[in-house]
Amino acid sequence: MTEAQFVALSPLILVGLAALVVMLAASFKRSNGLALGLTLAGFAASLVSLAWAAKVAPVQVTPLILIDRLALFYLGLVFLTGAAVALLGHGYFEKRAGYRDEFYMLLLMATLGAGVLVATTHFAALFIGLELLTISLYALVGYTRTEPRSLEAGLKYLVLATVSTSFLLFGVALLYAELGTMEFGKMVDLIRQGGHRETLVNGAIALVGIGIGFKLALVPLHMWTPDVYEGAPAPVTAFVATVSKGAMTAVLLRLYLLVGGAIPDSVMTLLSVIAILSMFVGNLLALLQDNVKRILAYSSIAHLGYLLVAFIAGGNFAPEAVTYYLIAYMATSLGTFGMVSVISGREREAEELRDYAGLFWRRPFEAGVFAAMLMSLAGIPLTAGFIGKFYLLAAGVDMGAWVLLGSVVINSALGLFYYLRIVASMYAAETSAKPGAAAREVALLGSATLAALALCLIWLGVFPAGLITLIRSAVLGV
Amino acid sequence: MLDLLWLIPALPLAGFLVLLFAGEKLGKSGVAWVGAGSVGISALIAGLLKWTFLTSPPEGHHFTQALWTWLDVGAFKPEIALYLDPLSLVMTLVVTGVGFLIHLYSVGYMHDDEDYSRFFACMNLFVFAMLILVLADNLLLLYVGWEGVGLCSYLLIGFWYKDPANCKAAQKAFIVTRVGDTAMALGFFLLVTQLGTLQVQDLLERAATRWEPGSGMALATALLLLGGAVGKSGQLPLQTWLPDAMAGPTPVSALIHAATMVTAGVYLIARTYVIYTLAPAAMAAVAVVGALTLLIAGLAAFAQSDIKRVLAYSTISQIGYMFLALGVGAWSAAMFHFMTHAFFKALLFLAAGSVIYALHHEQNIFKMGGIRKQLPLTYRTFLIGASSLAAIPFITSGFYSKDAILYQAFTSEHGHFLLWLAGALGALMTSAYTFRMVFIAFFGEPKTHVHHKPGWVMNFPLLALAFLSTVGGFIELPHFMGHAQFFADFMAPSFAHAAGHAAEAHHGAGLEIGLMVVAMALGLGGIAAAYVLFLAKPEIIEEKMKSEGNRKLHAFLFSGLGFDKLYDTLFVNPYCWIARVNKRDIVDLGYSFLAAVGMLVHFLLGLTVTGRVRWYAAGIAAGCLILMSVMVFT
Repeated sequence: MTEAQFVALSPLILVGLAALVVMLAASFKRSNGLALGLTLAGFAASLVSLAWAAKVAPVQVTPLILIDRLALFYLGLVFLTGAAVALLGHGYFEKRAGYRDEFYMLLLMATLGAGVLVATTHFAALFIGLELLTISLYALVGYTRTEPRSLEAGLKYLVLATVSTSFLLFGVALLYAELGTMEFGKMVDLIRQGGHRETLVNGAIALVGIGIGFKLALVPLHMWTPDVYEGAPAPVTAFVATVSKGAMTAVLLRLYLLVGGAIPDSVMTLLSVIAILSMFVGNLLALLQDNVKRILAYSSIAHLGYLLVAFIAGGNFAPEAVTYYLIAYMATSLGTFGMVSVISGREREAEELRDYAGLFWRRPFEAGVFAAMLMSLAGIPLTAGFIGKFYLLAAGVDMGAWVLLGSVVINSALGLFYYLRIVASMYAAETSAKPGAAAREVALLGSATLAALALCLIWLGVFPAGLITLIRSAVLGV
Repeated sequence: MLDLLWLIPALPLAGFLVLLFAGEKLGKSGVAWVGAGSVGISALIAGLLKWTFLTSPPEGHHFTQALWTWLDVGAFKPEIALYLDPLSLVMTLVVTGVGFLIHLYSVGYMHDDEDYSRFFACMNLFVFAMLILVLADNLLLLYVGWEGVGLCSYLLIGFWYKDPANCKAAQKAFIVTRVGDTAMALGFFLLVTQLGTLQVQDLLERAATRWEPGSGMALATALLLLGGAVGKSGQLPLQTWLPDAMAGPTPVSALIHAATMVTAGVYLIARTYVIYTLAPAAMAAVAVVGALTLLIAGLAAFAQSDIKRVLAYSTISQIGYMFLALGVGAWSAAMFHFMTHAFFKALLFLAAGSVIYALHHEQNIFKMGGIRKQLPLTYRTFLIGASSLAAIPFITSGFYSKDAILYQAFTSEHGHFLLWLAGALGALMTSAYTFRMVFIAFFGEPKTHVHHKPGWVMNFPLLALAFLSTVGGFIELPHFMGHAQFFADFMAPSFAHAAGHAAEAHHGAGLEIGLMVVAMALGLGGIAAAYVLFLAKPEIIEEKMKSEGNRKLHAFLFSGLGFDKLYDTLFVNPYCWIARVNKRDIVDLGYSFLAAVGMLVHFLLGLTVTGRVRWYAAGIAAGCLILMSVMVFT
């Protein structure tokens, strides 16, 4: 390994190291605060090393991993999100009995897996990253062992994720058998040249698509989402909704850039149908739902549908539009699930809609931030969500993709209904919260994280140009 | 120096945010310092910029400060940029300068109000929005400012929201101006789709090169923009909201509904003057709207008994003069009248506010009387304002600005004798109703006891505005009086495109003097008439009021010539009728149907959510089958 390769890989190495340190530290002294400190230090060190790695990028480290500007950008995103989840988790697990240190260890491992995913150019590394992420998530989803629902969610995730991964693995095996390589770039070249059994390759691509689509929870692979989101501890739900989907989107983006937009029409139509179905199914299922975590789960299905629209209709904009939309989505999802974790009490989580009734009068700050997050999800101007959606619509109008656009518009209206339902109940005068759902103490770290996220959302809505420039330099660097 | 431009709107915005989040904790003096101080510093900076423009003007007499690009998606690239030229500079100076004096006055006037910080927060937000409106470099930002001032106007008219009447007035203002705003938005859409840019200056340039003079597109755009202008500026036919807007606190009436916001329409037309020069018919429409409005509002002012409503109608009438000036192509005369009007009308409102304050919220002029002796300072400043409004020759600013408008209404190539006649008649009415108010309220026997006298924070703005109302006119003198045209020369770069058109038809000094003498005679005649009718021989009026016909006429004038009633019959009642008949909304059925379908699909989809892993796994398998078959067989 050359020095440049080592430097380029250092962000991933540091996160892995942090996981080991947290594990070791736990064997000497069990402390929620210490583990959090070590985790944050690990993330901070990797974030700093990103700047270091940027100087040598792009670097190919073995055939498996490519550290280029796209990878660095997404690594930064994944690490920042991981750190935010750690901050939210601290307050959440502080309130609950049981060991807490392992949460951070698992979180770091899962983030490492996601980091491998965003930097991979090889199906072997893709599989390793995916498994690292998913196996850590099995444990994280079922982390509150004493709660049957959490365990149930963990088991469901285990079974279904295994099923989907085996589809992916089979697809990769078929591709390797036919093309003799597992590197993304070479595969794309070989497929372009032709001379292979097309049916086999197409079928294999479909199988790989199943694996990716499961992680992104696109219809018809979405059914696990509400159950797992509902059962998992709120900070873990935040992680599943953001990091896991963000990393998969990065993989998709990398493949998209390699293919260079030369996607057959039939596939485009298929993707359009999936996008439209995801939007409608997600939003319609959320419509009258009374469980806030499930509402947010369904809404995340719909949002990934929107994201897919950016891929399909984006044209030259696609990488930029997808990334901007993803960032807006990740920040708001962190914020909304973070809010659930911050205001949840000791006995149970604040997940029923009525737990939020009159929240504004009890905790005006949190209610205000939550409202801002929901507005961003709904795409109201002056929030990041609006800019993301504007990108989508502008790109769609450019391409003349009217069916997709119409679906986006109708679904935005549908979405507004259930987002405003939550907001309206927060500002309602009466409170009908069940006892035990409200936190007695304020989690300072969590609230500060949420405030930072809310500021970030509004900043990105008013002043998006800075981030757009950054995204452009990242995606055009590929 | 010019780089300080962004601070001018930023400071009031900062003031608003501070007051919004920490207003309750600051205490009254803190609120006053933040509220008035932020606008005061903005006014100082605006003064500095004015000085820079005079001593070392930037290239082309305009300056653009691009703050940041909001979005950059394809061809859509709106910049958050401020544009300063003589036109926007004059507006900025008035908004911040007069705005500061009114803020200062409010420190005293609103002192006992429990919502002190909310008041100043709204006022600061208003100043911010108004500055964005006048400094906007593109239509998007201009629209933000336009809607922002509309919002603040609504919030401040309904400031004392516990009285439902105030809320109704606020709603009326909002809804009536909305009619105009819709027209304006359509005009903006037309501009953007036809000319392909949001930037105001680019738009004007492209319009001048691409559109033929007299073309339909120019006419349509100009008329749609005029729709927005008449809404915001309280001109015919959308003037009905302005008298009711007096429900707000008096400083609000002074700042928003007299000096600044209501002139936004004047600004809009002046800003887009190129489009109007391309559409002579639209210009004629502007002039006619102005002439009719100034006459109608002048008539209505005669019958009012509430001092603020008299001033409200006079505001409508004076803005009518500005529209008249715009309509005859006298761009800089319109802006000159805007400036002097801002001074003397703010002065009149604030002085009236002092009276109202001293008499414990008494607004009826017939219950005042004799305040001349009790509040000498208020009386003198009010008199200066009234003289300026009535255009007393030579010593008041109103005289010079009104004279410039009347002269050009007669001589300009877009002018007409009838337009001049309307303006001259208006001058007669103005001086008559103004001095009616002065004689009834300030002379005669005292009818209400003075409770408390205003302190220096309220008196200083009066003195400053009285000074400005007097000397403000000397920067622009008629041709034969030394031909000092500082204001017009300063404004010229903003209206460069029109210079070629309105090649000044040169008339002799004789005509100018003649017109001026007629206007002077009419103005002084109005005062004399007011003196006779309302002070010397009030029994004439009493005699006349005995007849049934005259009482009806009075009631008709009192109601603002029955426009409210007309609109009630034409629009409000039919609308309410339809709403009543259509209680189970037919239009709504379609939406209810959609909602029902949504619900049905929600429940059907809900059937797939079983919670069983084997069902979910089957879902994955089914998805895989579909995906595979599509990929393999197509």
